[in-house]
Amino acid sequence: MRDGDAGHALDATLARTMATSSAAAHPASSGQPAGHEALVRDLQQALGVDSVLQAPEDLIAFEYDATIERALPEVAVFPATTDQVAAAVRIAEAHSRPVVPRGSGSGLSGGAVPVLGGVLVVLTKMNRIIEVDRVNRVAVVQPGVVNLQLQEALAPHGLVFAPDPSSQRVCSLGGNVANNSGGPHTLAHGSTVNHVLGLEVVLPGGRVVRFGGRLADMPGIDLRGLFVGSEGTIGIVTEITVRLVRAAPDVRTLVAIFDSVDAASEAVSAIIRRGLIPVALEMLDREIIRLVEPRIHAGYPLDAGAVLLIEVEGLAEGVEADAASVEEACGLAGAREVRVARTAAERDRLWEARKVGIGAIGAASPAFYLLDGVVPRTRLPEVMRGVMETSARYGFRVANIFHAGDGNLHPNLMFDPDEPGATERVLECAETIMRLCVDAGGAVTGEHGIGLEKRSYMEWIYSAADLAAMHAVRVAFGGADRFNPCKVLPGGHGCSVGHGAEALAVMRRGADSV
Amino acid sequence: MTTAASALDRLRHALPSDTERPPAHYALDGGTPAIAFAPNDPAEVATLLHEADEAGLALAPLGARTAAALGRPLARYDIALDLRPLDRVIEYVPEDLVITVQAGVTLATLQATLREHGQYLTVDPPPGDEVTVGGMLASARSGAWRGHLPAARDLILGMRVALPSGEVVHSGGRVVKNVTGYDLHRMHTGALGAFGVIVEATFKLAPLPAATRTLLLTAADIEACGALARRVWDAGLAVRAIAVLGARAADAAMLAPVPCVLVEAAGSVAAVERTLRELRSAATGAGDASVETWARLRRLAAGPGATVLRLGVPPAEVETTVAALERAGLTAWAHLAAGSVIARGEIAAPDVEALRRMAVERGGFLQVEVASAALREAVDPTGAEERTLVEALKRQFDPRGTVNPGRRGPGL
Ligand SMILES: Cc1cc2nc3c(=O)[nH]c(=O)nc-3n(C[C@H](O)[C@H](O)[C@H](O)COP(=O)(O)OP(=O)(O)OC[C@H]3O[C@@H](n4cnc5c(N)ncnc54)[C@H](O)[C@@H]3O)c2cc1C
Repeated sequence: MRDGDAGHALDATLARTMATSSAAAHPASSGQPAGHEALVRDLQQALGVDSVLQAPEDLIAFEYDATIERALPEVAVFPATTDQVAAAVRIAEAHSRPVVPRGSGSGLSGGAVPVLGGVLVVLTKMNRIIEVDRVNRVAVVQPGVVNLQLQEALAPHGLVFAPDPSSQRVCSLGGNVANNSGGPHTLAHGSTVNHVLGLEVVLPGGRVVRFGGRLADMPGIDLRGLFVGSEGTIGIVTEITVRLVRAAPDVRTLVAIFDSVDAASEAVSAIIRRGLIPVALEMLDREIIRLVEPRIHAGYPLDAGAVLLIEVEGLAEGVEADAASVEEACGLAGAREVRVARTAAERDRLWEARKVGIGAIGAASPAFYLLDGVVPRTRLPEVMRGVMETSARYGFRVANIFHAGDGNLHPNLMFDPDEPGATERVLECAETIMRLCVDAGGAVTGEHGIGLEKRSYMEWIYSAADLAAMHAVRVAFGGADRFNPCKVLPGGHGCSVGHGAEALAVMRRGADSV
Repeated sequence: MTTAASALDRLRHALPSDTERPPAHYALDGGTPAIAFAPNDPAEVATLLHEADEAGLALAPLGARTAAALGRPLARYDIALDLRPLDRVIEYVPEDLVITVQAGVTLATLQATLREHGQYLTVDPPPGDEVTVGGMLASARSGAWRGHLPAARDLILGMRVALPSGEVVHSGGRVVKNVTGYDLHRMHTGALGAFGVIVEATFKLAPLPAATRTLLLTAADIEACGALARRVWDAGLAVRAIAVLGARAADAAMLAPVPCVLVEAAGSVAAVERTLRELRSAATGAGDASVETWARLRRLAAGPGATVLRLGVPPAEVETTVAALERAGLTAWAHLAAGSVIARGEIAAPDVEALRRMAVERGGFLQVEVASAALREAVDPTGAEERTLVEALKRQFDPRGTVNPGRRGPGL
């Protein structure tokens, strides 16, 4: 996902700060914390030598996720079974080491970065689809299964796992559960939490528990619902039972072309105001179109200010009516043209452009900061104006490609981290944009999670009592101190706050491998 | 047990005098509280909770009391907390399809408010729209639409909860997609008050369908009904409910006393017409049914006068489950997509346990929805759950067992 260029000043400083904070507690002559050999020996015994990495050169690939933040784990383990996950957790605890779960490392809030070192539990080996029950519309998977891998297995059955993050070619279902991920098609179907029926979880301490089951609305306390979105701070998912939906009999994909982001935003509000919920309603602005169209040739006009990629589905009869209504709403909001994809190939190309969009920014700029904010849908036009004005004021090129129907913004601020002061300015600009979202009645993350990146923003939304209640959950699960430390909640032992210690959802050139 | 008069006086001082109510109006399972209050706002609720907690008194939050027979009988009951005066719509922005209401608002009021703007909350919990929003969330029961439409726990965007510590905390917000912090509102949904009292909730709404029609389909026997229902489900038609009824259930719903399938088509006019056409050609017998039939089933699913059980089984096994239950003398029907089977009648504790084993073996569950206190003491109404964690959460949020003590079992 990145070019491995470690010369970035902020990166280096962060890595150093973090490395000292974790290693300082137990300085040892080898440069490794005291007890390192014993820890490795225990892990190797429980998981096998091949499933334990400890040489710094092997660990480099695991020091970051899709963000700029990096910190080396002391050891990375690759369990193949739930028992091995539980053993790794117990051993880490016995040696007083932090535990950090990791899926594919495509996270955009630093959630899988082992800021205090310790044992990184990488779930990629647990990548089996255990069962697809077509009749009852249920699948059981291991956490390392990649989102697209499941979609491909379901396609022949005419079934779909609704959450489809744009990173679906790489992100793991465990990561989707941990982050309660969304995607273009969660507009109609809801985020991951609405599609998870049951979970097997290894708790801090190593106990294995099950939440939920194979049916919706299992009686009792909804620990399943509480767990989804907990970002790896209260346990490690080792098996997931998901709800599947039937692929719609008919789909229509439309592209509405506008002269400005403003007009396109007005159209989004107008569509929702009609009481029409398409299954997908995405916006791509001029910057994005100019980056992707020459590569994909999907037919997005290069002189458009913004386009909306809209999908409606259902029975042919209903689809017809909905498409007509969408077209009318777009026309009234000033769409220059509304096109309908005529073939499956055309439709695929339109979506392909959406999916490579983020990567294309990476190819065009030395680095960019991908923001994730969410606002009430009626406030989209004014907030988008604010986004454009704010980035212009700070002098950054901004590219917008986002889940407009949900009010879930993703401005991408392009910058050159080697230019003095640019990183600080990009942070300030991002903070200003996040404030706009919160002031409009929104929130600081719609799908990427708080992770490390947004811990300090939590106080904008929640009172001390609110945060204490969240902390109480962490205590109850036993994960307060050493389970994915320094994530989600502000504070925490050894976790310094403030921008210096936070991750940035910054991707450097080369990010288009996603 | 008599509650110390001084403790009650303290409560009276803490709350405006117009909030006190006659305790006799709040009997539960034959037990009457020592005192009752109907606070006017969330702050008063929090004050009452805090005072109760300090005094070591047990408090039961109450809405429309349609789910009062859910869970174990209370172990202690000193204070009734009537939430119905919390009946304000805090904010409704129809253009955003989002509403924030207080916990005492009834579903009927909520739906009426929304209907004016062509919107609704896609839930149809038993026994009817008289449920309050708080009670509906705390009991998390769903109806015929579940499996076709999202349930309350999927529609909740944010919540305010009064805690025994006296604080009112919130989680989530009023945007339709949000992963800012832990979703505490999910923990309170279905918790029967175990961790605090829900005082306000924000929901995601849906546009009302332009057309709805209910159709009654018949087939040779209950097995054929099950197969037919699944064909309808698989056809991808514009439907929002598919129920499979045993003969007794059909009778109770005032239909002809034979096994049948009840389908509700919903969507655009054109989509509903097409759906009805396909349904008519798929079944040997098809006719219109009154939409009232759904309301009757809903009422039967939680109404008094009998023991009611809700079983969860895989959708592929609903008709065999319904058949077995009706053979055992119960009135049974199922909502196919959710795998939810409801059984009504007279049933003894050992039989409940046997049915639960059957459901659990199939990856499902059994919950006792309505029953005498005696039956709810003899069998665990909810069934096994991850008790160690639930206890740990209880220690964090309600360490003294102030809210609904015993309702989730001994010590909870
Ligand atoms: C180009 C690009 C596009 C993206 N588009 C979207 C999008 O459309 N929608 C969206 O929601 N996200 C998107 N993302 C973000 C990211 O892909 C998702 O958050 C994804 O779910 C992360 O999965 P992962 O396997 O990569 O998790 P990781 O990055 O490895 O981990 C993410 C978090 O989950 C925890 N975790 C991982 N596995 C487990 C487990 N088994 N048990 C417990 N905790 C675990 C980690 O500790 C960490 O906190 C995008 C990212 C990129 C790079």
